[in-house]
Amino acid sequence: MFETFKNVWRQRHLIMSFAMRDIKARYKQTALGAAWAVLQPLSMMLVFTAVFSLFAKIPSDGIPYPVFAYSALLFWVFFANVLGGGTGAMVSNAPLIRKIYFPRETLLIAVIVAGSLDLAIASMLFAVLLAYYKVAVTLSILWVIPLLILQMLFSLALISLFSAIHVNFRDIGHGLPLLSQLWMFASPVAYPLSVVPKWILPIYMLNPMTPIIDGYRRAILQGRPPDFGALSVAAILIVLCCGVALTVFKRAEGTFADVI
Amino acid sequence: MSNAAIELSHVSKRYRLRRGWYVTSLRDEVGRLGARLLGRRVEPRADFWALKDVSFSLDRGEVLGIVGANGAGKSTLLKIISRVTVPTSGSFVARGRLGALIEVGAGFHPDLTGRENISLNGSIMGMSRREIQNKFDQIVAFAEIEQFVDTPVKHYSSGMQMRLGFAVAAHTDPDILLIDEILAVGDASFQAKCLNKLAELKQQEKTIILVTHNLANIRAHAKTVLWIDHGQVRMVGDPDVVVDAYLEHMMAGMTAASAGTLAASGWVSHDVVVLGVDTCNEREQPQIKFDRGDVVCIDITYSAPAPVPGAVFGVSILDIHGYPLGGIVTDPDSVKIAAIADRAVLRLTLDPLLLNKGTYTMNVYVSDPALRKYYDFKRKVVKLIVDGRKAAAPDATGYIYYPHQWEQVK
Repeated sequence: MFETFKNVWRQRHLIMSFAMRDIKARYKQTALGAAWAVLQPLSMMLVFTAVFSLFAKIPSDGIPYPVFAYSALLFWVFFANVLGGGTGAMVSNAPLIRKIYFPRETLLIAVIVAGSLDLAIASMLFAVLLAYYKVAVTLSILWVIPLLILQMLFSLALISLFSAIHVNFRDIGHGLPLLSQLWMFASPVAYPLSVVPKWILPIYMLNPMTPIIDGYRRAILQGRPPDFGALSVAAILIVLCCGVALTVFKRAEGTFADVI
Repeated sequence: MSNAAIELSHVSKRYRLRRGWYVTSLRDEVGRLGARLLGRRVEPRADFWALKDVSFSLDRGEVLGIVGANGAGKSTLLKIISRVTVPTSGSFVARGRLGALIEVGAGFHPDLTGRENISLNGSIMGMSRREIQNKFDQIVAFAEIEQFVDTPVKHYSSGMQMRLGFAVAAHTDPDILLIDEILAVGDASFQAKCLNKLAELKQQEKTIILVTHNLANIRAHAKTVLWIDHGQVRMVGDPDVVVDAYLEHMMAGMTAASAGTLAASGWVSHDVVVLGVDTCNEREQPQIKFDRGDVVCIDITYSAPAPVPGAVFGVSILDIHGYPLGGIVTDPDSVKIAAIADRAVLRLTLDPLLLNKGTYTMNVYVSDPALRKYYDFKRKVVKLIVDGRKAAAPDATGYIYYPHQWEQVK
C-alpha cells in the first residue's frame, strides 16, 4: 500500500495530465461549462428541501434545511461522482490500457483529483449559502481536511475494487447508480443522525460515510469536532479496505489488457 | 549481471476463450458455478496459448526484427515486453526505459487540442513535464502540424493524427524502443522520415525491436531476426537466413492454398495439365541454385487428356514477394502443341540467366492461343535461387542484371 502511495508521488505529472484531460474534456462543447459542477448539488438540494423539509417536515437540528442538505450533498455528490467515474475508468480508457503500459491506478487518482475541482466549484455556492443564512463558521471547519482525506481514501478503495471487477463483469456498471442512491439514503444526507432509531444505530454506524458526513455538518455548521468514537471505527475500516482493495487492484491490473 | 536489455525465459501466455469473447457477465459465471454444484457437466473453457515457452535475450544496442504470420503471437509478445500484459508463466526482465510505437495515438482525446494531447500523450509515455516542454517544438515540426496545434484532434485527418502519435513516441527518448508495423502507414515522405528517425535511434545505440511485414525493412535494419510461428520461436539468427526460411514457409502455404482455390473455382479448364516443373543445368542435372550467367533449363512436364487444337505456354518470373519481374511465352507459330495424348516435356532455356542474387519463383501456365482461357495455371510452382557465389564483386543492384561495360570516353 505504501508502495502505491510512493508511486503516486512519482506519477504526479501523469495523474495531473489525466485529471486535466478529464476536466477539459468534460466541459468542452458545453454551454454552461463549469456551472454544471454547481447545478448537480444545487438541484438536489432544492428537491430535497421541497420533499423532505416542506412536505415531510423532517427536522434539521435547528439549521435552515437548505444549508443543512447542501452541506452533506456537496460532499456526497463528490463521493458519488468519483464512484461512478472511477468504476468505469479502466473500461473508458480501454484503448490506452490495451496499448500502453502505465500504472493503472493513476487513472483512479485522476478521477478523484478531477472530482475535487468540481467540489471546489460547488463549495463556492456553499459559501454564499452560509453567508445568506448567517451561519457562523468557526475554526472547527479545519476538521473538514482530515474528513475529506478519509473520504478520498475510502473512495479510492472502492473504485480500485469496483473498476477491477468492472473490467471482468460489466454488471457492476449497471448496479452502481442503484447502489449509490441506496447508499445515500443509508447515510445522514437528507436527514440528521438524530432521527435514526436507536436500535439500528450499531449497524448504521458501521457505514464509514455516516461519521464522515455527520462530521462535515458538525465541523462546518455547528462548530463542533466530529464523533471520534464512530470516526475511528470508520478510519480503521477505511485503511483495511484500502489495503485489501489496492492489493487486489495491483494483482488484477496485469491482465486488464487481455480482458477489457 | 548480464548486459541484456531484454530477457525472456520460458514465457507463455494463455488466453481464455469464453462465449462473447472475454467479457462475461456475472450471470454466466454464477450459472457455471450453479451447474457445477448441481453436479452437471460444465463445458470446459477453451484455452488458447498465444505464446508457448518463448525464450530469448536481446543485448543493449541491438536491433531485433520479429516476423511471423498474422496471429502467430507477435503482438502478444510485444504486449508482454511493453508490460501491457503479464505472461501466464515464465519470466521477463527489461532494463531501461521502454518506449513503444504501438498503435500510435491510442492516448489521444478527440476533444483536446494538439498541444494538450502532446502533453497528455507525453506523460502517458513517461516523459516529465520539462522534457515535454523542451521537445514540444521538435514534436510539432516532426508531425508537420504547426498550423493546427490549437485545433481539437478530432478535426485532424487520420494522417495527421498518426503523424502526431509517432512524433510524440519517437521523442520519448527510450532505451528500448518497440516498433509495431508503424512504418507501413503514412505517405512515402513520412515513411522516409520515420526510417531516418529509426536510423538515428540505431546510431544512438538504442535497443530496438521491430515488428513489421515489410521484410525489406527488417533485412535493412535488424541485426537478428526472430521468427515466431504458432506462439513458438521457430528460428532466431541472421536476418537473411531467417527471412528466407520464413518466406519459403509462407510461399509453400500460399501455393497449396491457391492451387486448391484455382481448381475449385473452375478458373482453369484442365484441357492441358502441367504435371511438374523442374530446373536443371545444361548437363541435364537437376539444380535449383544457380548464379548469374548460368544456363538454366526449365522443363515443363504436361499432358492433355484429349487433343487440344493449339496452346501457348508461359513462364513468369516473380520476386520473393510474388511481384512479376518478367514473362516469356511460346510463340504459337514456333511450338505446335496439337493433340498431346499422353505426356510430353517442353524445355525453356534461359541462356544466360540475367538475375541478381536473390530468391525467385515462377508461375507456369498453359492457355489457348488467344490467351483467353487458361488450360492450367501453376502459381509459384518452382523456386530459383540465385546465390551469387561466382560473381565476386556485387556490381549490380535490384533484380535484373544488365550486361554492361563502363568506359571513360573523354
